[in-house]
Amino acid sequence: MSDVNSRRQLQIIIVVASMLLSGCSTSIWVEADFPQPLVNQLPVSMGLILDDDLLDYVHYEELPRQASYTIQIGEANELMLVQLFESMFTDLTEYNEFPLIEPDSVEIDGVLWPELERFEFDVPVGQRDEFVEVWIQYIVKLYETDGQLVTEWPVSGYGKAEMIDRDDALNSAIVVAMREVGATISTKFTDQPELQDWLQERGNEASL
Amino acid sequence: MNTAKLFLLVAVFLGILGGCGVTTRIEPYKQSDVVVGQDESIVVLARKHHSSHEAEQRIVDCISDRLASGDDALNVYNNIEFEDELYPWFEPSMAPVTTVELSELLTRENVLNQVLSTGVRFVVWLDGSTTRVASGGGISCAAGVGGAGCLGLGWWEDDSIYDATVWDLQELSSAGTIYADVSGRSVMPALVIPIPLIARPQLAACRGLTQQLRQFLTSPGYGNGPITSSE
Repeated sequence: MSDVNSRRQLQIIIVVASMLLSGCSTSIWVEADFPQPLVNQLPVSMGLILDDDLLDYVHYEELPRQASYTIQIGEANELMLVQLFESMFTDLTEYNEFPLIEPDSVEIDGVLWPELERFEFDVPVGQRDEFVEVWIQYIVKLYETDGQLVTEWPVSGYGKAEMIDRDDALNSAIVVAMREVGATISTKFTDQPELQDWLQERGNEASL
Repeated sequence: MNTAKLFLLVAVFLGILGGCGVTTRIEPYKQSDVVVGQDESIVVLARKHHSSHEAEQRIVDCISDRLASGDDALNVYNNIEFEDELYPWFEPSMAPVTTVELSELLTRENVLNQVLSTGVRFVVWLDGSTTRVASGGGISCAAGVGGAGCLGLGWWEDDSIYDATVWDLQELSSAGTIYADVSGRSVMPALVIPIPLIARPQLAACRGLTQQLRQFLTSPGYGNGPITSSE
């Protein structure tokens, strides 16, 4: 009889401990469906490197007085960036690493190599804070096909979402921030002076 | 004696009920005589460029759903589909803030064509939020061998302040604005069991704005002066 009681007590302790532990950590796999940007395509054949750092990006953070968060953004990165650049350029080719291209090759005009540089978030603690907030910053690097860096362009996005369900709100805020990044890249790409010059050169070469 | 106690209880309860309620003030101003056509649609969008607040998705959905239902239902385009189909031009940082910016945006042929394909004639920009402005009182609860119970009175007051600005995409101008200020006081008396008497100012703002928007979009000579009511 005492064996049965102690086993039951042990089961209760395990259940309570696992409930407490699951309450202390949050794991989010960012789910997103990004729309195609409504922008005019640039007449450029572009290579795109999505490396493992970007595709497997995981943000881990322990917030004081809260929980530990594991946020997996890799798949959302790929979804957002491929859709975005496919809409922006007449031709896009994906690579895992820098492509070895013959100097006179006309297959691609340049190579884009985006990196996720910073990710920050804030989850409300008090009842008066109503929004989950997310800041995200990418660095978009453009290379010539010979590997020479043309420019590095930092692009930031901010997103917030109403705190109704913590995980859903965090997911929504991340998606809003990533959409902001996509909006900036797709609408301001041709406003960057170095990119303007580079596009001008490509245009001149095409016309020759 | 028992009857006197009952009267006292009823009086206290009615007094508490009197403290719970919603006060609504709506000010509609229409600047033109335009009305929505049979084949034209409207879309309700939240203004999201503020850092401190933004209109909640639930009031956007509430107004959209109510405008699209009933005998005199209007054609309401889904706000998420509209933002997706016109991505990135209606994202928080990109959305036009003035009608001049709207005119500039619609000079882009692909954007104009996409707007035309949705059939949306009017954009209703919803700006504002619901916030807790005051709270007070207190409830104490205790439990013992003989039972458990609570005693006390808690109250809180929420303010729902929204502007619904209507843009005419055909005329590229603002057709007018409806301003709603709804305050609601909720109380929770506890005499053994806490009884929440909750006022819902956001729902009242949704109802009021929907009713006024429907008239705004269907009556040419509508909208002069404030409307005040209490429930």
